[in-house]
Amino acid sequence: MGTTLKRAGMILLVSGVVAVVANTVHPRRIPWVQSWSNHVEARAREAGVRVMPLSVALEARARFVDARPREEFERGRIPAALSVPLGEWEDAFALLADLVESNGPMVLYCGNRDCDDALLLALEIQTFGGTNLFLYSDGFEAWEEHGGPVER
Amino acid sequence: MTRDQKIYRFAHWLACFIVAATFLSGYHKLLRPDDFALAVYRFHLLPDVWVNPVAIYLPWLEVGVAFCLLFVPRVRVAALWIALALLVLFTGGIAVNLIRGTAFGCGCFGASPAAKPMEWMNVARNGALVLLVFLALYGKRKSAG
Repeated sequence: MGTTLKRAGMILLVSGVVAVVANTVHPRRIPWVQSWSNHVEARAREAGVRVMPLSVALEARARFVDARPREEFERGRIPAALSVPLGEWEDAFALLADLVESNGPMVLYCGNRDCDDALLLALEIQTFGGTNLFLYSDGFEAWEEHGGPVER
Repeated sequence: MTRDQKIYRFAHWLACFIVAATFLSGYHKLLRPDDFALAVYRFHLLPDVWVNPVAIYLPWLEVGVAFCLLFVPRVRVAALWIALALLVLFTGGIAVNLIRGTAFGCGCFGASPAAKPMEWMNVARNGALVLLVFLALYGKRKSAG
């Protein structure tokens, strides 16, 4: 048993050394410490907005709300999505209020995993009673890349 | 070597091969550490500070274990015990998230955003792999006489 433990320790150690070296030279290396609590998904969870990945969004029967700038929306969007650019959300207040009133699920999205426009829009919608809110976190780029239907 | 010992040795090799192949099929974690770190984060089981180190270390540990299972007979038993520990940890993490409710995939064999959310079938698959590890350990003991 002692020999097995020593050998297991060696495997753990050598793998650790290889991992350190590999992460140093990897073209996609990641930092050793990252503030995940600032990640858009963490902020959504904190705010009570449920997060869904592409696989779930593709099956969702909900109203999609596109928080990207209007010109990006015009170039391509999830079918039947409502365009509400973050900076212009007050112009769409009546529409959003109707959606909130109906209490149907609303799925908000923006361009990709790194943008937070959709989350910030969800936080605005929460201020006037929106609760049935979802953040589709992979964004339109992943939707298009993985064959989701696109309306132009 | 008796006929029974040969059968046990074959079972040991076959089980080692399947476990190693399973670990190696998660190679995408090496290619896209950023995606795998996000998958680890989405388990919501580790403090922030541990997410990236675990995401960097685990894929290489899996490769190390698979390499030892396939090519280094002297350390095969030790690699099997590490494989067992890893599988128990993975299965526990998936089970906790299934009980909590999650929409995300486990990131086990691919980081595609189109991957299906984790399900109890993942737990069953890992359970089968745990049984294979035990079979490999048992086969090794019996084949040694």
